[in-house]
Amino acid sequence: MNAMTLNMYQLVIMADDKQVVLERILQVTRYRGFLINAMNAEVNTGNNVATITMTVSSERPISLLVDQINKLIDIKSVKVDNSEVQIQQYSA
Amino acid sequence: MTESKTLTGSSLLFEVLKDHGVQHVFGYPGGAIMPIYDALYDSDVKHFLCRHEQGAAFSAVGYARAAGTVGVCFATSGPGATNLITGLADALADSIPIVAITGQVPTAAMGSDAFQEIDIFGLSLACTKHSFQVTDINELEKVLHQAFEIALEGRHGPVLVDIPKDVQLAEVTQRLDKLSHLRNKVKLPLADISKALDLLTHAKQPILYVGGGVGMANAVEEVRQFAEKTGMPSVSTLKGLGAINPDNENYLGMLGMHGTKAANIAVQESDLLVVVGARFDDRVTGKLDEFAPNAKVIHFDIDTAEINKRRTADAAILGDLKGNLPLLTTDLEISVWQQRLQQMKTDFTWRYDHPGDNIFAPAVLKTVSDLMPSNTCVTTDVGQHQMWAAQHMAFNDPSNFLTSAGMGTMGFGLPAAIGAQISRPHDTVIAVSGDGSIMMNIQELATIKRYQIPVKIVLIDNAKLGMVRQWQDLFFDGRLSETDLSDNPDFVMLSRAFDIKSQKITKKSEIKAAVEEMLDHDGPYLLQVKIDAAENVWPLVPPNTANDKMMEGV
Repeated sequence: MNAMTLNMYQLVIMADDKQVVLERILQVTRYRGFLINAMNAEVNTGNNVATITMTVSSERPISLLVDQINKLIDIKSVKVDNSEVQIQQYSA
Repeated sequence: MTESKTLTGSSLLFEVLKDHGVQHVFGYPGGAIMPIYDALYDSDVKHFLCRHEQGAAFSAVGYARAAGTVGVCFATSGPGATNLITGLADALADSIPIVAITGQVPTAAMGSDAFQEIDIFGLSLACTKHSFQVTDINELEKVLHQAFEIALEGRHGPVLVDIPKDVQLAEVTQRLDKLSHLRNKVKLPLADISKALDLLTHAKQPILYVGGGVGMANAVEEVRQFAEKTGMPSVSTLKGLGAINPDNENYLGMLGMHGTKAANIAVQESDLLVVVGARFDDRVTGKLDEFAPNAKVIHFDIDTAEINKRRTADAAILGDLKGNLPLLTTDLEISVWQQRLQQMKTDFTWRYDHPGDNIFAPAVLKTVSDLMPSNTCVTTDVGQHQMWAAQHMAFNDPSNFLTSAGMGTMGFGLPAAIGAQISRPHDTVIAVSGDGSIMMNIQELATIKRYQIPVKIVLIDNAKLGMVRQWQDLFFDGRLSETDLSDNPDFVMLSRAFDIKSQKITKKSEIKAAVEEMLDHDGPYLLQVKIDAAENVWPLVPPNTANDKMMEGV
């Protein structure tokens, strides 16, 4: 078995409540090589701002994903909410 | 809102196009975009009917790249929209500002698997900078303005606007105030160049590494002045060609997989890379871990996500290259380095004294380059001919060399040349293509015929998918798999079927006269150049290999 070290991060994303904003985040996250371990999304109907919290893991540095999500047009901010946690994933 | 005038969504589209100075559009009609084509009937916008939506997208890309503006294309729903996708992906990879308008089935039918319905909005996520689907006529104008803004702001890119048929037909009575649609612009931090200046003044062997972002930032003059004032030796990516004056004595040519020997060795030996509008693409770096192993990096870019993506920057300067690069100008004491590289450039200069009577493709392209008018725009397809064009032709501006760099899309060259010629009617436009690539969008010869677009086509014909054949020979034990194209059509006869003058040459003695005839011809022209099928592109850095370990012919 090969051991792979994954780093786990929690992201807090603020976004305009626009069509497919969640799909855009999911697509970028997968394409840039991050696994989604958990996700929650809520909309403040008063200001139409969505708050998405997402736990992701990858071998890659989180800055790669943060920069790419930040490029999405409807994103207002992306914050990494915790220091990285390392986990071991085993594959045959 | 201002002005009280009833407009349909379709008419409103053309009003917004007019607001943005759009004069030309490339497209193909169909059921779900018929109201827009009906409004086109009364519009001042000139529409070019391409013969495939992919051709329309690439023509829009060629138009945008040649003229430094936004290209616009139209397609209907379903297959029309999906046929745009390769063009959108190409524009995303090369950061080209285009706006694609697609018709969609009526909102009431959306999600019902209606005839010619596809979720192009969903499909667009991975191949556009941004996309919209407009389901409310009151949102249409704002979205259309934003599409143009987004295409051009920061790092350029393609934007898709999907408009259901009922929204195209719906009416709106008022236009927006001019400024009410504007998005809040992202403010980039002021550049802190103190660290970069410190790195530069301590460098003994610096290299200026120039990418496609220079042209996109309209910073060619600033980069040339920086190169001249500092005397820094420079290299270019495929998309950066034309940014540095090819006559600059310290310019070493293209780097990377098919780069010049001098450029690749210089980069490998450098102690500092000043990277302007480039992104350490894998075709540039070869084996990343061994790329410029002793070099510090100063990275200028407009896109935060490119900083530290593939190579860590010792100093990152984010923002407008045009304003930031001149701040780094300083005197350098690098004469030993300059002289060494100038000698290397001389020692490794290209040779065109190919033995025998057969045509050596680099010699043809060198001849075309030497004879073409100075502001000629050259497009290419993808493959061996593309690399030969990059190596052996000289360009005096990035907008004069349009090639599918990031996506490497065969079929790009011919429709891109059409778009370029429409945007620059007074300049010569030459499409350099291969016998594999040209067949990918051969239907666009009909577009050339219809509008008598005077594009010149130089068809490098080895009856092979040459670059794949080369790799099969070199890296797959010569097991040639599906790369033979010896049953291609007769290209001269084919051209004549589209009323395009054509000629085929097979001997080196015919080159000069044939190129002169092509360039002197008033209308479109196809010059078919038969070359040896075994000819390879050299030098070649094998995959996952350091750039100084290049192959130079076997």
